[in-house]
Amino acid sequence: MSAAQIRLATLWRREVNRFMKIKKQTIGAPLLETFLYISVFGAALGSRVGDLHGIDYVVFVIPGLIMMAWATNAFSNNSSSILQQKFQGAIQDQLSSPASPAELLLAFSLGGFARGMIVALLTFIASSLLVDLPVEHVLVLIPSLFLVGFFFSQLGVLIGVRAEQFDDVAFAQTFVLTPLIFLGGVFYSATLLPEPYETLTHFNPLFYMINLVRYGFVGYTEVSIALSLAALTAATAVLFLVNLRLFSKGYRLRA
Amino acid sequence: MKALDIKNLEKRYPTGVEALRGVSVEIDPGAIYGLLGPNGAGKSTLIHCTTGLAQPTGGSIEIFGHDAIDNYAEARQAVGLAPQEPNLDWFLTAEETLDYHAGYFGMPRRERRERAKELLETFSLTEKRDERTRTLSGGMKRRLILARAIMHRPRLLILDEPTAGVDVELRLELWHYVQKINQEGTTILLTTHYLEEAEQLCDRIGFIAEGQIVAEGTSPELAERFDVPNLEDAYLALVGRKELSRSHIELTPEVEA
Repeated sequence: MSAAQIRLATLWRREVNRFMKIKKQTIGAPLLETFLYISVFGAALGSRVGDLHGIDYVVFVIPGLIMMAWATNAFSNNSSSILQQKFQGAIQDQLSSPASPAELLLAFSLGGFARGMIVALLTFIASSLLVDLPVEHVLVLIPSLFLVGFFFSQLGVLIGVRAEQFDDVAFAQTFVLTPLIFLGGVFYSATLLPEPYETLTHFNPLFYMINLVRYGFVGYTEVSIALSLAALTAATAVLFLVNLRLFSKGYRLRA
Repeated sequence: MKALDIKNLEKRYPTGVEALRGVSVEIDPGAIYGLLGPNGAGKSTLIHCTTGLAQPTGGSIEIFGHDAIDNYAEARQAVGLAPQEPNLDWFLTAEETLDYHAGYFGMPRRERRERAKELLETFSLTEKRDERTRTLSGGMKRRLILARAIMHRPRLLILDEPTAGVDVELRLELWHYVQKINQEGTTILLTTHYLEEAEQLCDRIGFIAEGQIVAEGTSPELAERFDVPNLEDAYLALVGRKELSRSHIELTPEVEA
């Protein structure tokens, strides 16, 4: 391994080590939360709702929950980790190393990405044991989930770098991210909403991400898959470039 | 080639505060250089600029001939920093702290393990290697920070007030480590408020005040320059507090008795 590879691997290992040392909170709690959603919305309410567009309600909901698990865990991991390290001053050890801004950004991003992937994968395995969960379009599903994971990793990094107190992170998660996810159609189909709510839903970027993942699993979508994938790729790339610029300038990281 | 060559270094913070106003410092390889000055004089800012924790707004910094601002990778590779405030990662154990630090500097795994073992032994931390850093005592944290700073075998070691707030025993212990590290060939830049520490350890001393180096030399040279008997009085002359000189303190009759 080259020095740069060792550096990147170590920076990433530090991120994984952090969340694995508190795995009850970082892996266990999100898994329980997702399981409760499946129980309440799927098993309890699902029997009353029946089918949605010919798909069993619980099966309709699970793809959105898997996406939500990846997204929220990637986001909260990176935002918390960066803010904690800024608070402790521990981030100085990394900032004063020869690591480039791109290496630092990539390592922080992939830390949250890995946590999101673990929770999403465990949710998928657990769901598959409970219900017959199809995977209709794996070639759409995998890139979609990876893009969603990377997008929210970047968003977490952005909020973590900008944040000056834990309130800033909590605000972004509670008042921005969670409403967007819940109103993006995880638990319902937008076509069931009366106007203007159906139209408004189309302005929510999370709606497109949920549809991408749902299409990958069950083959049902309410938006153009190609357009959604292209928009998500572009948004992720833009966010990465914004973060790279912040890291290069040392924004709120270097005095 | 100088170990550290700083020319006309300037740092103006976005708030408008000018922390450094054209600082120039040269340190020869193998030397111990002391930087003395009152709080807020610019010592830590100078260190942060040298290690990449702050971005200078003017001037240049070269570390063993490598530009520390634009071509920072090789320059930072040559520097180890023990900061003033303990900044250990709470999630890591003592051994992980050393291992990860060396990884950030690209050291291969086997070398990391051997070096970490050696330093844990040197700094009497072997028994605590699996303890998380937040559970360590203040003295152990100081020793671990010093061990971390030299883990990647830097050629220039920067110690920002390494003995601030520690007891006498640990201070002497840290002095011993610093001298040993220097004897092994490492150049050292040390900031301190303890004048006896500077006199004991440093080959040359620079006085910094209001973001500028106002005097530089050996301890006797500085005393001579300020026309006073010792380094402490030279420092008091610098900060405009000559009246605090111990030579002005008259013992009361009770004390004399």
